[in-house]
Amino acid sequence: MILQSAPAAPPTTAPPAPTFKRRRRKPTLHRTLSRVLIMLIVIVQVYPLAWLFLTSLRTEQDFATGDPFALPSSLTWENYARAFETGDLWRNILNSFIVTMGANILIVLLGMMAAYAIQVLGFRWSRFVRGLFLIGIIVPVQIALVPLFIDYASINLLDTYLSMIIPLAGFALPMSIYLFSSFFEYIPRETYEAASLDGAGPYRIFGLITLPLSVNTVVTVVLVNSIFIWNDFIFANTFVLSEELKTIPLGLQNYIGAMGKVDWTATFAAVCVTITPLLLVFLVLNKAMIQGLESGATKG
Amino acid sequence: MLPNRSKTSVLVFLLPPLLLYCAAVLFPILQSLFLSFFSWNGISEMEFVGFANYVRMLTADDIFWRSFFNALLYLAICLVLQLGGALVVASLLTSLRRGRELIKTLYLLPAVISTVAIAFLFVPIYSIEPVGLLNQLLHWIGLGNLERAWLSDVNTVLAAVSAPEGWRFTGLYMLIIYAALIAVPKELEEAAVLDGASKWTLFTKIRFPYIRPVWITTTIMATTYGLRGFDIPYLMTNGGPGQSSELLTTYMYKTAFTSTDFGYASTISVFIVIECLVAVGLILFLLKRKADA
Repeated sequence: MILQSAPAAPPTTAPPAPTFKRRRRKPTLHRTLSRVLIMLIVIVQVYPLAWLFLTSLRTEQDFATGDPFALPSSLTWENYARAFETGDLWRNILNSFIVTMGANILIVLLGMMAAYAIQVLGFRWSRFVRGLFLIGIIVPVQIALVPLFIDYASINLLDTYLSMIIPLAGFALPMSIYLFSSFFEYIPRETYEAASLDGAGPYRIFGLITLPLSVNTVVTVVLVNSIFIWNDFIFANTFVLSEELKTIPLGLQNYIGAMGKVDWTATFAAVCVTITPLLLVFLVLNKAMIQGLESGATKG
Repeated sequence: MLPNRSKTSVLVFLLPPLLLYCAAVLFPILQSLFLSFFSWNGISEMEFVGFANYVRMLTADDIFWRSFFNALLYLAICLVLQLGGALVVASLLTSLRRGRELIKTLYLLPAVISTVAIAFLFVPIYSIEPVGLLNQLLHWIGLGNLERAWLSDVNTVLAAVSAPEGWRFTGLYMLIIYAALIAVPKELEEAAVLDGASKWTLFTKIRFPYIRPVWITTTIMATTYGLRGFDIPYLMTNGGPGQSSELLTTYMYKTAFTSTDFGYASTISVFIVIECLVAVGLILFLLKRKADA
C-alpha cells in the first residue's frame, strides 16, 4: 500500500535548486528550536556519564558535601588506587574477555553453519527449523534460568565459564542466523553452481566461498553481541559463585560493602575502569557498530 | 538448493547449532513448562500438583498481581522514553545538516554501559543525602518541593527504576528509526511540500506510513525487552520498598533463588513467556490492521 503511492511522485529529475531555496526560506525559529532540543537531549544522554567520570576524580569529602554539579575542587587519583585494592578488577576484566570471546566464537561459527544449511543447502524442513529459531528472539531469557540451574547442578557445570557461555550463545544464535541468512541471500546462485560444476562439494564451498565473503557480517555480529555479552548480569549472577570466575558486572557488586554502605568515589573509579574497554572499541569502531545495529532490525 | 549436497552435509552443518540451541533455549522452555506442574524445592522429592501453582498464582497471590501491574507500568515508561524519544530525536536529526554522526554516537553511548554500572550511576543521581543531580536540578528550577529520596518513596520508586532502562536503549531505537527515515524517498517528501503539506501532515501522511514496517519491528523489540527487564530494578531496589518496584521477573527470580520454590517460579516464568507472545501478537494485530485500513 505504501509502495503504491511511490509512482505518484514526480520524476526524479527535479532540479536541486528549488530544494535549496526552500530550505533557506524555512523559518529559522523552527530550526533553532530543534537544534536546542537536540542539544538538550544529547546532554541528558551524555552528562551522567561525564559526571560519573568527574566524580571518580573527586575526593570523598567533596562528594559527600559538595554541589553535585560543581567541578571537583581538587582532582585525585586516590579513588582509582582504592578501587584496585577493593576488588580484583583485572581478574574480572579477563573473565569478561574469556566469556565474550567464547560466546562470540560459538555465535559466529554456529550461526554461519545454520544459516548455510537453511539458506544455501536447503532441506525439506528448513521453514520449520527457521521458525524454531525465531522463538529464541521473542522468548525472555529468564525462562531458562531455573531449568539451566537444575541441569547444571546435575552435571556439575555450575560455576564454570561454560555455564555462562552456553545460554549467552544460545539466546544470541537466532539473531546471528538471521543476519547471516539475509547476507547469504545476496551471494549469487551462479557462484555456487559454477563451483559445483567444478566439483566442489558443500564443505569446500562453505570454506572457500561463503566463509571468506562473510567477513563484514562476522564483524557486525561480533560487535553487536559483544555489547550484550560483555555486560551480561543475569546469567553470571545466577550460575557463578566463586570469586575467580566473576565477570565485570559481578565484580562491581563487591563494592557494596557491609550494611549496603558504598564507597561511592572508589566505586565510580571502578566503573570507569570497567567500561573503558568496550567504550574504546565503540568509539573507534562506532561506524561499523552503528551500521550493525541498524541492519539488525531493518533488513527484515 | 545446492546441486550436489548430501543429507549428511545438511546434518553436519545444522546439527551443532541446533544442539546448542536446544540445550540453551528450547529444552529449558519445555522443562519450565514441566516444572510448573510440580512443587519442588530442589532437595526433597518432586511432587506433582497439577494446576495448583497456576491457581495459586492467578487467584491467591497478591504479590503476583502487584508485580504484573508494576511490570506493565515499567513497560509503558520504557516504551514512551525509548520509542517516543527515538522518534522525536530521529526526526529532528533528519533536519540537521551537520554533526549527525557525532550526535548518533553520543546518543548511543549509554547502550554500551552495563546495567550494573547504570544502577551504580543512578543511585546517587536520585539520592537526597548527599544531594543528587536530580534533586539539585529540581531545586534550581524552583521545584524544590518535589525534592525527595526517589528510591525510597513508594510513589516514585517504580518510575525511578524504569527511567534508566528507557534512557539506556533509546539511542538504539533512534538509530533504527533514523535509518528508516532517511530511506524515505526525497521525491515523495518534496512533492508533498510542493502541494503545501505542513510539517505535521508530511510526518503523518508520508514519513510514518513509509517507516511503518520498521516501526512494527522496533515496537516488538522494545516491548519484549521491556517485559524481560530485570537487572536495573533488581540491582537498585531489589523490588522494594515493600513490593513497590517488584516486577514479574524480579519476583520470579526471588521465588526461585531466595525461596527455592522452583515449581512456582517456573509457573511465573511460563506466564512471562505467554505474556510476551500475547504482546507480540497484539502489536502485529493492531499495527498491521491499521496499515491495511
